[in-house]
Amino acid sequence: MVKIIKEGRFGPGEAVVLLGISSMARIFLSYPRLLVDTGGPAVWMMPLGGLAVALAGIYFMSLVLKKSPGSTIIEITEQAFGPFIGMAVNILVTFQILVVTGAVFIREFSEAMLTTTLRYAPISLIDAAFLAMGLLGAYLGVEALARTARLTYLYVLGGLSILIFSLIPFWNFHNMLPFFGKGPKEVFLMGTYSTAGIAEIIIAGVIVQAMGGAKIFAGIGYRAMLMGFGILFLSLTTLVLTYSWPVSEEFTLPFLRLARTIYLGRFFQRPEAIFILIWGIVGAIKIALLLYAAAVSLARSLKLPEYRPLIWPLGLAMFILSLLPLDMPSVIEVDAVYIRSAMLLPDYLLPLLILAVLWFKGRGARAGS
Amino acid sequence: MTENGWCGMSILANLLKLITYEENPDREGFVLKETSADQKATGKNEAPSIGKNSPDEQKKAQAGRGSFKKPVRPAGKVTEKPRKIKDSGEAGAVQTGQTAGRVNEKPVVDKLSVSASLAENRDTVGILYGLPENKDIIMRDIVIGTEPVINGFVIFIDGLVDKSVQDLLFQALMLFAARTAPPEKGKLALFVKERLLPGNQITLQSRFRDILDAVNYGDTALFLEGCADALLVETKGWEHRGIDRPTIEQVVRGPQEAFGETLRTNTALIRKLIKNENLTTEFIKVGTRNQVNVAVMYLRDLANPALVAEVKRRIDSVKTDLIIDSGTLEELIEDNPYNLNPTVMATERPDRVAASIIEGRVGIIVDGSPFALIVPTTMYEMLHTGEELYTRWQFGTFIRYLRALAFYLSFLLPGLYLSVVLFHQEMIPTELLLAIAGNRERVPFPSLVEVLLMEISFELIREAGLRIPGVMGTTIGIVGALILGQAAVQANIVSPILVILVAVTGLSSFAIPYYSLAFSLRIYRFFYIAVGAMLGFFGISIGLFAQIILTANLKSFGVPYLAPIGPRTVTGADVVTRLPVFFHEKRPDYLNPLEIARQPDVSRGWLEQKDGGKDN
Repeated sequence: MVKIIKEGRFGPGEAVVLLGISSMARIFLSYPRLLVDTGGPAVWMMPLGGLAVALAGIYFMSLVLKKSPGSTIIEITEQAFGPFIGMAVNILVTFQILVVTGAVFIREFSEAMLTTTLRYAPISLIDAAFLAMGLLGAYLGVEALARTARLTYLYVLGGLSILIFSLIPFWNFHNMLPFFGKGPKEVFLMGTYSTAGIAEIIIAGVIVQAMGGAKIFAGIGYRAMLMGFGILFLSLTTLVLTYSWPVSEEFTLPFLRLARTIYLGRFFQRPEAIFILIWGIVGAIKIALLLYAAAVSLARSLKLPEYRPLIWPLGLAMFILSLLPLDMPSVIEVDAVYIRSAMLLPDYLLPLLILAVLWFKGRGARAGS
Repeated sequence: MTENGWCGMSILANLLKLITYEENPDREGFVLKETSADQKATGKNEAPSIGKNSPDEQKKAQAGRGSFKKPVRPAGKVTEKPRKIKDSGEAGAVQTGQTAGRVNEKPVVDKLSVSASLAENRDTVGILYGLPENKDIIMRDIVIGTEPVINGFVIFIDGLVDKSVQDLLFQALMLFAARTAPPEKGKLALFVKERLLPGNQITLQSRFRDILDAVNYGDTALFLEGCADALLVETKGWEHRGIDRPTIEQVVRGPQEAFGETLRTNTALIRKLIKNENLTTEFIKVGTRNQVNVAVMYLRDLANPALVAEVKRRIDSVKTDLIIDSGTLEELIEDNPYNLNPTVMATERPDRVAASIIEGRVGIIVDGSPFALIVPTTMYEMLHTGEELYTRWQFGTFIRYLRALAFYLSFLLPGLYLSVVLFHQEMIPTELLLAIAGNRERVPFPSLVEVLLMEISFELIREAGLRIPGVMGTTIGIVGALILGQAAVQANIVSPILVILVAVTGLSSFAIPYYSLAFSLRIYRFFYIAVGAMLGFFGISIGLFAQIILTANLKSFGVPYLAPIGPRTVTGADVVTRLPVFFHEKRPDYLNPLEIARQPDVSRGWLEQKDGGKDN
């Protein structure tokens, strides 16, 4: 009998914060600029469609998980597609989605750090630092990660609140016109497509047992999505209110630009360096969670009793993959073109496919009996 | 040959002896040679053939490279299964390999029983205590003045017994025992116990192990002719320090008593505060050589039984030679000894232990140690003192927030300074930046060296201040103030702002009330200096993430170390903000006590007495 992987346990509040913080990590990167590029002055509306789809994704995932309450998405995939195809799908999800996404995030965060503060440091050093944090977090497990998220989220949200309130003097509501920006199609359709692809839905499916099981999965997922998309909404609104959209399109790291704009008298100005603390911690949580989810998924797929031996090889793979793109524009392109689209498959298509297969199987079984 | 010839030969021989080399066999003087047990431990006297031919060795030889990759335990630790050397389940009975071998070179005292022959008992005691060389062990023959007289002897340790109690004992036996002794020799001990001895605690023991333990602990053993039991009379009365004021955990308002080195006094100090019949004190013997008594104190109707059982299990399982202080025991029973953060609370204040026991925790007191241990504990409790509860809640809350600030400053400030100075100058206001730059202009060292110089100097002064003899105590203040303050700045070795910074960091460190936590933060500070100097705020964020996740992963006797915030449990009214006492309705949820309610929702009963004050 295969020994069950010990994942630890944490409460719903911690799970919400962990997934919420993980999903908000993208606001610190170039991602808001891409959205401004797509939606123009109506960029703040773009996450609304994505939120609706993400909530639906959580609902479908919860339906899948309820089919086998003691299992995770990994085991249910195997139950639905059989041991061989199921394992292949799981390994594909692990490598294509979690490892590649982790690699892209490592590189993007490292590039952001280089741009912001450590201009003369080699990229491999910053990459290695992020990897080290990811390895430590993944090694200590999701319970420790959830507690870390719970301990730091007040500082993170407090920092964001300070940022938003400090920028109020710079707000100009005319920046939000025209109301539908570059057009409803761009804002709602492309906005939904661009914002719905997040790793947290599939990650939640992998760590469901540590979160307390399928029964409370939907509640946790909904709240986490509201938190993540709510922060994205607030950030985009602040961005477009502070700078007009043509100007916002020019920023490589819009969040950094917003922080740099703060001027509350001669003594309190240019506090963007303080936000690096938040930035680094959120990035570390995100990368550690991705690495953990990848290792646990692979261990469950291969029926291994322990996930920890896989952390180092997977981390090394992430590190190597993260160094493959030539420069920052290349990695942003990989993120925008590949990751955002690829993430839709395990988030939405996989649960729907599993539901369909299980339904057909159930129907067949009922017909047989 | 003539006499002169012999003389000449002798002179020649002496001259030759003087100028030629001869090995001096006495040159090394006394050499402490290895004992057989040492040789056995290091494997020096093992015959090579035995080892190689044994099945285990053959297995090892056949094993692949992987088997040698297994982490090796520190030297001296024996990994083989414990071997029982006696049947009883007493602490310290189970010993491992070589240690057990050493301990059992003496006669197996655990199996010895008292004989009916007085001479035989006298011989046995003599051998066990190494008499007559062992001079502070007193063996005294007595004749009990009954009719007929009874021969006997007493044994006790000079210095551990109360001589006035002993005088009473001897008077009762030798002068006032004018009764008729029972004819049956087997009932003599009982007769003496019930009719003759006035001591307050007297027991009959037949096993030498129990007798030796009692005598080693200050009791007097009385052996009688024809009797296979010994009488143990409580005569404990050694010299000890009185109850002093706390020296480390001082408060302005609140009890001013601290623990001493005497176990019974310490337990009594707690019992004095908790006047409750459910307060239980269990004694566990720890240590194979010194057999120290460890008291485990808890409220029977409140502490979680699983917690109590776990505490006793851990203490009971400790196998070591010697435990002098609770610090040693702490390291042997804590969950994560490799982490910097302490996960067991040590305190010198009986009121703190009492308050913890009433919350459902367990107190551990080691005989001879003036510091009691409290388990489980959390990091937030390590930032509390009793004073917050003894003063008004607003004052307590203010102090807590001040202390929270001190907590962060104590390990982050130098690292943050280096980050700002080296990487993020843009966030310093221009005037301040110019002031810092102006001060640093004359300093030849890089900022990192400057910070390290000051920090190490400060640590040296702190350490020297602790170790310096009392009469020279004022010197350290002068040296510290002169070196760190004035002279270093005047010599352009450090900038004035750094002196201020190090002083604020030091003050913050002193504001942490729990010494072990403050110590761990001192060490963390150097990590932050390193990462701050290397990577700026990004390095600080790496350090913070690592510290937070490592700390969040800790447990203290099954309770998360950062409860009730990480993980979130019922927060209560006393974590950081100290709400008024009448809001402290519940005990900490994470302790899972048998009764969660501490007081009713309305603890101020007079509010509900609607006719209150009418008569006035």
